[in-house]
Amino acid sequence: MSLARLIERLLQLIPVLLGVSVIVFVMITLTPGDPVEIMIGDQNITAEQEAAMREDLGLDRPVHERFFLFLGNAVQGDFGESFYHRRPVIDVIAERLPATIELSLVALIIALVTAIPLGVVAAIKKNSMTDRLATVGSLLGVSLPGFWFGILLLMLFAVQLQILPVSGRIGFSSEIEPITHFLLIDTLLRGRPDAFLDALSHIILPAITLGLPMTAILMRVTRTSMLEVMRQDYVTFAEAKGLRRNRILFRHALKNALIPTVSVAAIETGSLLGGNMIVETVFGWPGLGRLVVESIFVRNYPLVQAAVLFYALTYVMLNFLADILYTVLNPRVKL
Amino acid sequence: MKHLTRIMLASAMALGSMAPAAIAEDLVVGFTADANTLDPGNHRNRETETIIRNMYDGILTRDSGMNILPQIAESYTQVSPTVYDFKIRKGILFHDGTELTPEDVKFTLDRLTSEGGTGDGQTSPRASLLGPFKSAEIVNGDTVRVTLSEPWPLLPAMLPFQEVVSKDFVEKVGTEGLATQVNGTGPFKLVEWRKGDSVIMERFEDYYGGAPGIPPVGKACVERAIFKIIPESASRVAALLAGDVHIINELPPFAVEQVRNSPNAEVMTVNGTRSFFIAMNVKGEIFDDIRVRQAVAHAIDKKLIIDKILGGNAEAINGILSPDAFGKNKDLDGYSYDPEKARALLAEAGYPDGIEVTMDVQGSYKDTAQAVASLLTKAGIKTQVAVGESGLLSQKWRTEGGEKTGDMYFTSWGNGSLDPQGIFMPTHHTAARGNSAGYSNPEVDKLLEEAATEVDREKRAEMYRKAEAIAAADVPYAYLWVPQDIYGVSKRLSGWQPSPDSRINLHDACLK
Repeated sequence: MSLARLIERLLQLIPVLLGVSVIVFVMITLTPGDPVEIMIGDQNITAEQEAAMREDLGLDRPVHERFFLFLGNAVQGDFGESFYHRRPVIDVIAERLPATIELSLVALIIALVTAIPLGVVAAIKKNSMTDRLATVGSLLGVSLPGFWFGILLLMLFAVQLQILPVSGRIGFSSEIEPITHFLLIDTLLRGRPDAFLDALSHIILPAITLGLPMTAILMRVTRTSMLEVMRQDYVTFAEAKGLRRNRILFRHALKNALIPTVSVAAIETGSLLGGNMIVETVFGWPGLGRLVVESIFVRNYPLVQAAVLFYALTYVMLNFLADILYTVLNPRVKL
Repeated sequence: MKHLTRIMLASAMALGSMAPAAIAEDLVVGFTADANTLDPGNHRNRETETIIRNMYDGILTRDSGMNILPQIAESYTQVSPTVYDFKIRKGILFHDGTELTPEDVKFTLDRLTSEGGTGDGQTSPRASLLGPFKSAEIVNGDTVRVTLSEPWPLLPAMLPFQEVVSKDFVEKVGTEGLATQVNGTGPFKLVEWRKGDSVIMERFEDYYGGAPGIPPVGKACVERAIFKIIPESASRVAALLAGDVHIINELPPFAVEQVRNSPNAEVMTVNGTRSFFIAMNVKGEIFDDIRVRQAVAHAIDKKLIIDKILGGNAEAINGILSPDAFGKNKDLDGYSYDPEKARALLAEAGYPDGIEVTMDVQGSYKDTAQAVASLLTKAGIKTQVAVGESGLLSQKWRTEGGEKTGDMYFTSWGNGSLDPQGIFMPTHHTAARGNSAGYSNPEVDKLLEEAATEVDREKRAEMYRKAEAIAAADVPYAYLWVPQDIYGVSKRLSGWQPSPDSRINLHDACLK
């Protein structure tokens, strides 16, 4: 892929993000429910006091004015102040983001290392007991609601067996000065294996819960594409040449079979961010997903706008990454 | 495969043994939401206040019986209907070791109420909680005199919502610094705020002891206290049962039995301050007839719902006020459960075949509303429950006198101060913020307005009793119940009492 093409693709992001910011702004502004009303809650206040609060949040201006103000500031990286935190939303989001990314990455790793071997085994042993079990398992994986599965895991591992903690990112006794803000990395960099294991024990259950539907999807994709590839002429040819079966499977078939898996994985990583909202709530994970849900309920406009824009950016970038990976894995495809 | 299983099991066990148990002295509260900020003057959120209140003390406070008591103030007097004097206690230290002065109290009040008081042109979102506050000045060197622009007997009941900050500290770190740093006078100091995860606090060794009216006076009992944020109720229950936390708030009624049966936890309840009711659109075509509204009131078996759905954790009400509220009219008989009478009233109103209506409710109260709807339907009021999101519903119903489109709205109003003014005025005064029914009765309006500024306590109580009786007879609302707040606590916990204002003060809490 040429550099010019890459830049062109990147430039195409601009109208997408612009479009997303318009849609987000319009949707949240049109959603019934008044932020000031919600903030006041059950209290009797005078009209002047209410007007003062509205003015304070900048909600006294007309909608179009607010939109251009938002857009103008957003271009400069200023997304305004959170109504509730009373600090720049970008700071609030930045504090929560590492937890979300760390959880998503661990979920992704769990999904990849379980889904690919399972998919391959299921394909090789097609229609066997293993294949059927894997198929049923993956069906369950995509069907089980995350919050239910998560609570089930909690009841078993945290309440009954008491071998894993119920919620949070790390224990109270493990205080780690942040470097990368990814606890699994920081604990190791600081030479604290005890804290690393503590963080690991906290992340296991939420990561499994979050990764489960993705594992199921990736397993199905791997199995299908593996079966497809094994029917190809070059595999038959390789078999006819008398190559060892393992060599055929792993050198020839798997490499090609993984192309769809990789691109689906990249796109599905975007949906990990969405699934985070539920998993983060169940496991008290201090991430962005929970913050966004809470912010939507109280109509914290600036925070929701910035967070959705961020999600959109991530999604677009992941798709872009999937395209690039696709061309790397399959040189016949050009961007 | 076998090998893999073994490895996984082994690592799970290793992890299990490594999972650090909380240090023995850590008292952990499994709490529904994180603080939005640690600045006492720059939020409008109950959970934030609960957390902050363990690190900051106020001029006045409340005990678990909701009595108003001096805290940072030594005493207070009402000089005139618009002037209050607060004599400030000596020897109170901030966490940084500096002594609290009346100057700090005045600064706090000014910061809360003046325009642009929190800096950067912003005004405190808590300003309106101080009503017609006009000014604060220091008199005699040790007293802060608060002047109001009009009489407002609510001032002492509303002051516990505010905490005193250090003038020097705020000037040093600014509003921005105050959002994440704490220099209060409360029983706990901030150790670390892990945003979205926990607020870790340790005992303030030089604490002045707290309100003398709330024994024991002295330092906090535990060395460290932690608010651990667990928003999902099932997970909060799991954390309590696993022994990870020692107090959880908002224990869901469905988990009450589970906690009661557990060997290491128990249930604690306290009368809440939130009244539930069904608003009937009194200007709508159906409910403009009082007989139809009476029919609704007669059709609801409150006792049945309290017993079966709310697990017995609520008290029925026949008027808007909570049974614990000042000025509550205890002589209201209410409308007995009588579906036959309801049908007869409907027939009398011209609906011999009954009526069909919709009842709006927000998701969290859906189950209870469904049960109420089935009782209404049995009595000829065929009720469809429509679930809506709370922000949306409040815009639909809280029209401040404007036209309404719905039939019924199953809702509630909280009244943290337990002063009738805080709930009666907004729900029953013509065109008030929370008047979802669209109710308007000049006599009630007049009583509420007069009571708002009446300084004589007994006269004031009498006005509310009268107003409650009139409103109950007009039935703009079907008054339902005041639920209890339910907490799950570890059996190791002692000294802690739940409070009707839903605060969790950890000063007296100990772990066995």
